Amino acid sequence: MRMTLTALAFLSASATLAVAAPGPAQQAQLDTYATLAKAVDPAFAGFSAEHGKTLFLAKSTTGKPDTPSCTTCHTADPTKPGQTRAGKAIGPMAISMKADRYSIPAETEKWFGRNCDSVLGRACTPLEKGDFITFMVGQ
Amino acid sequence: MSMDRSTSHEPLAPARIIVWDRLVRIFHWGLVLAVTFAAATGFLFPPNWLDIHVISGAFVGCLIVFRVVWGWIGSTYARFRSFPVSLALLRQHVADIAAGGGTRHLGHNQFGGLMVYGLLAILALLTITGIVTLGGVVKQGPLAFATSFATGQSARQIHEILAIVTLLMLAAHLAGVAFESWRSGENLVRAMITGRKAAPSGPVEPLATARPFLAAAILTMLAALVLTATIHLSDLPARGVPPVALDPTYAKECGSCHLAYPPSLAGAATWSAVMADLANHFGENASLDISTTTQLENWLQANSAEHWDTRAANAFRIANPADPQRITATASWVRLHQDVPDAVFKSAKVGGKSSCSACHRDAAIGRFDPQQISIPREARP
Repeated sequence: MRMTLTALAFLSASATLAVAAPGPAQQAQLDTYATLAKAVDPAFAGFSAEHGKTLFLAKSTTGKPDTPSCTTCHTADPTKPGQTRAGKAIGPMAISMKADRYSIPAETEKWFGRNCDSVLGRACTPLEKGDFITFMVGQ
Repeated sequence: MSMDRSTSHEPLAPARIIVWDRLVRIFHWGLVLAVTFAAATGFLFPPNWLDIHVISGAFVGCLIVFRVVWGWIGSTYARFRSFPVSLALLRQHVADIAAGGGTRHLGHNQFGGLMVYGLLAILALLTITGIVTLGGVVKQGPLAFATSFATGQSARQIHEILAIVTLLMLAAHLAGVAFESWRSGENLVRAMITGRKAAPSGPVEPLATARPFLAAAILTMLAALVLTATIHLSDLPARGVPPVALDPTYAKECGSCHLAYPPSLAGAATWSAVMADLANHFGENASLDISTTTQLENWLQANSAEHWDTRAANAFRIANPADPQRITATASWVRLHQDVPDAVFKSAKVGGKSSCSACHRDAAIGRFDPQQISIPREARP
């Protein structure tokens, strides 16, 4: 009973403060990427928000010349809206600002598929995807 | 002597009689105004003034119809009967002038009459070709439901030639008025304002009685007929204009990065090229899964520019072989935008040549009406 109350209090506090925590759908995706990451590297021990941040801010020379970084379109602040090269607004990447981010696996995969190729010139690994989402969950 | 005159009831100036009735004068100066607006908006102003051009043209058309009716049942000098035109009469008139005298014409002289008929005819033709152009090229107005772009383009060429001929005729008209005013000593411009000319010494042509109420009845009936027809015909779907709604998957997938370009803006070959190379889509990877790609490609092919008859579809149907994916690389796109300074496209507010909707407010539905062009203030040079 006391446990439940504490949990409830914590949940409502999270909601009020909009403290970012992965929702069930986002957690499910993180779990999927964790499984895949473990398959690649049995020593995998969890995702790192710090690595995700590095990936997000990194400049790349191996991708397409017009998109050297995630921040080209998303800006360096994940809580701010971005803009496509064609001028359309992009919702913020941080789930504190856009709660439905990373909740539809097909969409998440579509955008990682496109944008990792555009920026890095290759597909992202499950580890990178998990790190990225973990970083965004904390933003 | 002077005392005598001032106390006399005899007027100082010769008697002046009404030659141009009130409606003829309103018609004349109304036409001057309407033609001036139509010419200014047609020749000089940017395309987004089309509404003013069309309204001026509609006024011209209405005035012409009035004048034709008034030519039958107006007052004496308004009637076509009072200024017949024939080769024999023209020869006679030229001979009169050459002889240094010539008969005085209270109404229109031979050349004046000829000019009236000529202007009425050419302005009527301008109105008609204007409506056909509006229907076929811009897909607006009462003939949009039935007029092809090709027909509209032909009408437009004729309209443009007629407009230049009209300017020449107006120059001749002004020259004629100046010459005749000088020759006859009668200020013809003033006469068209006051309606009066000096009474002739000889007998005055018997006056015809104007029938203003009959004219009003005829014109009201005509107006009701034309207005009703115009409203109903303008409501019919325009020929060859695609539906407003896009395929929802297309709108979502393509519209998340850029304007979901209506498929009528490019030919089938362009869409094939685009969909075959989504992994290198204008500098980005825009891949979609196979089934979505196929679905969208089929929809694009079924709705490509070949299937529609808008100006944009006709213009951009032919891809640039050197750059088949890019609508802005087509010869037509370049020609249509040649007057737009590069700075406009480079401005932050516009953000590139691909941002159709930055200046074309109706780009999303593929119409590109001239009235919907509005270059953002911040982007203007």
